[in-house]
This record gives sequence, C-alpha cells and structure tokens, in this order.
Amino acid sequence: MAHIHLEDGSFTLFWVIIWWVVALAVIGAALVVLRTRKPDPRRITVAAFCTAAAFALFQVDIPIAGGVHISLTPLVGILTGPVIGSLIVLITNILAAAIGHGGWGVIGANVLVNFSEVVVAYGTYRGLRNLVPDLFSRAGIATFTGLLCGNLAMIAIVLVSGIQGVNQDPEQVLAGLTLIAAINMVVAIIEALMTGLVVSSIGKMRPDLLESERK
Amino acid sequence: MSSTSLSPHIPDIDLITYYAENKNSIFSRTSPWTKALLLVFVVLLITVSRSLFLLAGLYLIILFLYLLAGLPARKLVAWYALPVLFVLSLVGLMAWGERGIPLLSWTVGGFTIALTDNGILLVITLLIKALITVTYSLFFLMTTRYQHVAGIISRVFPAPLDQIFLMAYRFLSLTLAMTASLFKAIRSRGGGLVHSLRVQGRLFAGVFALVFIRSFERGERVHKAMLARGFTGSYPLSGEVPRPGIAEYGLLIVTGALVTAAVITSPYRGW
Repeated sequence: MAHIHLEDGSFTLFWVIIWWVVALAVIGAALVVLRTRKPDPRRITVAAFCTAAAFALFQVDIPIAGGVHISLTPLVGILTGPVIGSLIVLITNILAAAIGHGGWGVIGANVLVNFSEVVVAYGTYRGLRNLVPDLFSRAGIATFTGLLCGNLAMIAIVLVSGIQGVNQDPEQVLAGLTLIAAINMVVAIIEALMTGLVVSSIGKMRPDLLESERK
Repeated sequence: MSSTSLSPHIPDIDLITYYAENKNSIFSRTSPWTKALLLVFVVLLITVSRSLFLLAGLYLIILFLYLLAGLPARKLVAWYALPVLFVLSLVGLMAWGERGIPLLSWTVGGFTIALTDNGILLVITLLIKALITVTYSLFFLMTTRYQHVAGIISRVFPAPLDQIFLMAYRFLSLTLAMTASLFKAIRSRGGGLVHSLRVQGRLFAGVFALVFIRSFERGERVHKAMLARGFTGSYPLSGEVPRPGIAEYGLLIVTGALVTAAVITSPYRGW
C-alpha cells in the first residue's frame, strides 16, 4: 500500500471523536461549496461512477514487486478536484470499513489522510500546468507529492493521538512511523508511475474528463 | 469467486449481496437499525477496552453469531488477510521496541532490537480488535438487504452526499464486474504472466484508465437516461427500513447501558 489504513482500536475514544469532528468539518465545507454552486446533476452522477471505479480499482492487486495495492486518492483528486474528491474519499472509506479495510471509528483520521492526498495532488497537478506540460510527468509528480503528504499526515495524526497500548517515547514512535512511511513511499513511486500512465491515457482518449485541465 | 471478485482475499460484493438477499435467519429479519446501532456499540467497546479476555470473548460471540447466521467461514478467514496486513504494517515494527520482558532479540551493527511480551500483546490486542469489527461488519452486510442498506444511506447522509453514495453503491457491482472482465481478458491473452515493471505497469495502467473512462461514460449515459425519466438531482428511494421491535429496543437499551458504563469506567478514554 502507498499508505496505511488505521484499524479500530488504534486510538483512544477522545482522538476518535476529535478526528471525526475535523473530518466532518472538511466534508461539511465541501457540501456547502457544492450547494452554493449551480446544481449540476451530471457532476453528481459522474462522481458516483468515479467513486465506484476508485473503490473497484483499489481492490486490484498489481503483480509488481510481489503485489501492490494502490490507493488512487491522488488520481481521484486529479480527476474530480478537492470538493467532489473529499466526498469520494469519505464514501470509499465507509465502503472500505464495511469490508474491513480500515476501522469505522478511525474513518475520520483515514479521511483526513486521504483528503490531504487529494488536495495536494490536485494542487500540484494544477500548479505545474505551465511548468510541466507533459501529463505523465505532471500526474506522476502530483501523485508522489500527494502520497508523501498523506504519509506525513498519517505520521502527524498517529504522533498526536498515540496508539493504544504503545508505551514508547515519541522519538521511538517517530522512528517506527518513519520506517513505515519509507516503505510506503517505495510503493508510492509505483503508484506515481501508474497514475502518470493512467492520466496520460485519459488525456489522449477523453481530455475533457481531466477536471484540473479546465480553465 | 463470482464475476465481481478481483481477489480471494477481498470480500466479494456479489456473494455478500447473495447472502443478504437469500438468507432468512433471525438476523436477516432483525431491523437494520438495530444491527447498525450494535455496530456503533461494538466500535465504542473495542475503542475503550484493552482487556484481552473481554476482547477475545466479544470476538467469539460475534464469530458465533456469524456462523449461526449460516455465513461462509472459509471465506471469512480469507477475507481477514488485508485487515491483518494493515495491523501488522502499523504495529508489527513498533512491537519490537516495546518495553517488557525480551522474548527474542536481534543485534545488527551493535544495535539491539528486542521483541517483548508487551510487544506481542500489543499486536494480538489490535489484531483481535480489527477482527471483531471486520467480522461484525460483514455479518451486518450479509444479513441486511440491499434495499435496507440503501434506505439507511439515504436517511443518514445529507444531500448531495447521499445521492453520490446511493448511485455509487448501486453501480458498484457493475463496475467490479467490468474491472474483473477486463482483467480476465488480459489473463486470457497471457497478460497475467510475469513481465517487466514497464510492461506490467503499462498493462495495468491501461486497464485502470479504461475503467475510469468507461465509468465516466456510463455515468453520462445513465445521467441522460435518468434525465429522460424526470431526474432533477434527487435519487428517491421507495420502501421503508424496518424499525426495531420491542425486544430489539430492549436489547439496544441493555447493550447501550453496558457500553456507556464501559466507556465511563474505562481508564483508556484518552481525556
């Protein structure tokens, strides 16, 4: 995995509530933005299909380096933008929790990690439009940057919350988390290459689908 | 494996729906609201508890209910793979630095790391917690009809989140089947064989792009079809979600009181 999903019981109740509240604030803001815009049923329909596609592809085991699952959240950001993207990561996290990939109580924390990936990937992809015109390179850079931020967010959340039952100094926890993040970043390179190829394919076949390419 | 199954280690949506629609155990007849609230109680209980004895007991009870409902045991074991991987990837490394009685130590370049009794206890505790929610979540999904899950979604989530969720949930099986058929087509042409990173990457990226493009196109087609039928952005649901009966209310009150007591008396609430 290019990032990890926290399971139930990882955090104390206090931090479960805190991360849920922060995540709900993010989702609430996205809903306010969506409602203030002109209603666009097409956007809703396409977002639903994008959610289904992201959830389906998340389950694919790619036979590279012994088997890799990619998170696809940066791709979701590049394709749909941060507003719809934040709703998609919430839904995919709920669907994932329903089948055991990440806990229910930690959906808040997992959504924040994924949201940081969506926002950073979208921002990087859009920000580099003039500097890096090549879709493959731009999407690859955006994905790697997004996943790096996702890992940093994961480290920050775990360092702040602590893991239940772990009796180590913050330095020791940080060392362990850094090692986990380093392993994740190796997979992030594969995901960046994959996303670069996916975006360049979409750019050739349906360039109108790339949200961040629109003016 | 069904047409929507991409891996034996990932819960099969078609199989889950099959059990949800065709089983007629007492759990299938229980109100979905009761089962959903019990899920909240289970999550609360495992969040505030670190007692291995209590957690193991809760796991065995939920596993017993799962088996009593006539749900597939072998599949469940296969579906445990990813949750176990997630727990091990988070605390598998940390277990080595945990304070306690060293059971296994390893010295590399003058630096010693030790696996202690507390480290092993930490991994086991988090593993059981993860397995409890996985088993209960699957029990919930496999004993609750599609229409009722959709009903809960439409009542719990605000618009337009509920619309996106309902449509995504509605088309999940189709998308999974499309993805599985694309991979079947690749395998039938020898694509499953080991290739270089470049070849394998291009192959899979092509499929991923195709799945997204086809999903977008299907989304647009469905949208036009829905517009022709009077769609205005709202995706109404017909049918009620069965309310809990008196006995179920009793169960919820007793369980709720026990979980509240556990939360209040727990030293692990974190505040």
